[in-house]
Amino acid sequence: MIWKSHLFSMIIYAVFVCIVLAILRRDDRKSQIKYGLFLFLVMVIGGLLFGWFMYLFTL
Amino acid sequence: MYYSHSFTRKTEKNLLDLALRFIYHGDSMQIDVKAVSSLLLGWFVPGLGHVYLKKYWKGGIFFACILGMTCLGLFMGGKIYSFQTENPLTILAFFSDIGNGLFYILSRIFAFGLGNLRTATFEFGTAYIAGAGLLNFLIALDAFDIASGKKK
Repeated sequence: MIWKSHLFSMIIYAVFVCIVLAILRRDDRKSQIKYGLFLFLVMVIGGLLFGWFMYLFTL
Repeated sequence: MYYSHSFTRKTEKNLLDLALRFIYHGDSMQIDVKAVSSLLLGWFVPGLGHVYLKKYWKGGIFFACILGMTCLGLFMGGKIYSFQTENPLTILAFFSDIGNGLFYILSRIFAFGLGNLRTATFEFGTAYIAGAGLLNFLIALDAFDIASGKKK
C-alpha cells in the first residue's frame, strides 16, 4: 500500500488543496503563487504543531 | 413573479427569494442557463464548468487535482460513503463524497471505493476522497460565479 507515512500524505494533500484554493481565490499568477505558498506553509506547519500538541495528551 | 403566490408566510418567502436570487441573474428574472449549466457541469466532471466557460487551463488543473486526489484516496483504501442513517456522522461524509460527481456515480455502479479498513492508510484515503468532493463544490460554485458575472 502506498504512502504509509502520514506526514508525506498530509504534505501531498496540502499541495493539492493549495493549488486549487490559490487558483480559486487569486486572479494573477504572482499572487496565486504567493497565496498558494502561504497556505501550504500554514497547513504543513500548523499540522506539525497540532500533531505535537496532541502528543501532550499521550504523556 | 409566479413564485410569490404560493408562499404566504414572510420567512418562507424571504428564503425562497434568496434561493431564486442565487439562480436568477440580476433583476431580469430570466434564468441564467449558462450559469446553472456551468455549475452542474462543474459538479459532474471536475473542471468541466470552467472548460465550458473557455477557461481551459483552470479547468485542466482542477480536473487533474480532483482526479489525483480521488485516485490517491482510492489507492490508499479510502471509502466512498453512500447515504445511510445507521451512523449519522457518515451522512456528512456522503455529502462530501457526492461532490466528486461522476466519480461518485461510477463508484456506485462499479462498486469501487468500498474502503479497506485493514490498511493503515484507510483514514487518509477517505479524507482525500472527501476533500476532493468538497473542493469540487467550490470549483463548481466558482464556475457559476464566473458565468453569472460575479467574478472574472
